[in-house]
Amino acid sequence: MSDEVRFSLTVDGTSHEVTARWSESLLTVLRDRLGVRGPKTGCAHGRCGACAVRADLGDGDPHVLCACLVPAATAAGGTVETIASIGGPDGELSDVQEAFLAEGAVQCGICTAGFVTAATELLESNPEPTRTEIEEALYGNLCRCTGYGRIVAAVETAARTRRGEAR
Amino acid sequence: MLLAAPRFALPETVTEALAALAERPDAVVVAGGTEVMPDLLWRNRTAAGFVSLRRVAGLRGVSSVDGELVVGAGTPVAALTAVPDAGLRSAASSLGTPLVRTEATIGGNVVSALPYRNLLPALLASGATLELTSAAGTRTVPFDGFVTAPGRTGLAEGELLTAVRLPAHTGFADYTKVGRRNAQFVATVSAAIVSRDGAARLAFGNAAPTPLRSDDVDAAATALLDGRADAGDLRAAVAAAVDPPDDPIASAGYRRHALGVLAVRLVTRAAVDGGLGS
Repeated sequence: MSDEVRFSLTVDGTSHEVTARWSESLLTVLRDRLGVRGPKTGCAHGRCGACAVRADLGDGDPHVLCACLVPAATAAGGTVETIASIGGPDGELSDVQEAFLAEGAVQCGICTAGFVTAATELLESNPEPTRTEIEEALYGNLCRCTGYGRIVAAVETAARTRRGEAR
Repeated sequence: MLLAAPRFALPETVTEALAALAERPDAVVVAGGTEVMPDLLWRNRTAAGFVSLRRVAGLRGVSSVDGELVVGAGTPVAALTAVPDAGLRSAASSLGTPLVRTEATIGGNVVSALPYRNLLPALLASGATLELTSAAGTRTVPFDGFVTAPGRTGLAEGELLTAVRLPAHTGFADYTKVGRRNAQFVATVSAAIVSRDGAARLAFGNAAPTPLRSDDVDAAATALLDGRADAGDLRAAVAAAVDPPDDPIASAGYRRHALGVLAVRLVTRAAVDGGLGS
């Protein structure tokens, strides 16, 4: 019996016809089949958030999720925005990415795309988050270079910049 | 059907889902995937295929019907963090991470039926019922007794959990758990309380192979709420009622002790925060 599933998936504005195993994760399809390397493989069980992407999977409003936990074929016909959709087309950095650089919130970098994705989602829904709200929103993203203080500071900076306040 | 392959189906309605399952009886019904995907990756289980409920819109959403809170089985846990039921809300808010809560569903939490699942004590304390749907129709069963062993339920072959119903209550409800660390932890033990009309009803997670409640514990909790008994009496009643697992996470003795502490903590909250008690 065939293990294959075929479906279409739009990633960062490009549509793909995917052939994958029925049990394959969205993360594996993105990285190994489509060569989209922004989402990282970290813990592979939804704890670290390194694979976080924003997706519209036809199951309600678009939202940020762990690509490692989603069976890829359940995203058939859906849309995924990775870190590549957050910056500009020619590599310009978003305000959140700029803030991460300015605050030194990046060290080894494996967690960064996930953090920026989660932080960007937070600022879309809550332009004036408290420190506690930032910590709650980033609870599903782990950094093992002990960078949380600078990461939270970066999100605060991005929020202030976005509101037009002086840093 | 959005997608149908020999080992995979992506139905859009409950009827399509039941038909897909009938054609693939060995397939795993997957909702968010937050449990199944790591289990397959780490080879904790095998599966012959997936019937995904992700695109069955009729299974998502929370509504109030005849005074009951009706939660579609495919409703993500994230949506439960804002429901009127304070016990369910609290149990949902401490489940996994925000990125997991957008995918994990109430139905997956219930049907996976492991003793440490967050939502189970809250559902047991509140007196929840379950809607189970098969090609023959829908039946409603109490959640109490639905879990028959760790990971096993009264769900029949070819049957889907389609909704969870909670009685509306105006009293106090809460949930609490302890684990081995303060972040992203699975419950070593957990407890939930619903207190209404002067009576407390407690339920426990990881206190036995299945979600547990006891009339003796509820009597002791209600007596503590009324000032007719002290905390030691409730702890003793809990210790006598529970049969907790002994595993590398914690000993049965630790769990028995911690469950008593959580019970007293919840009754104290009901008395103080809920303005109940004498």
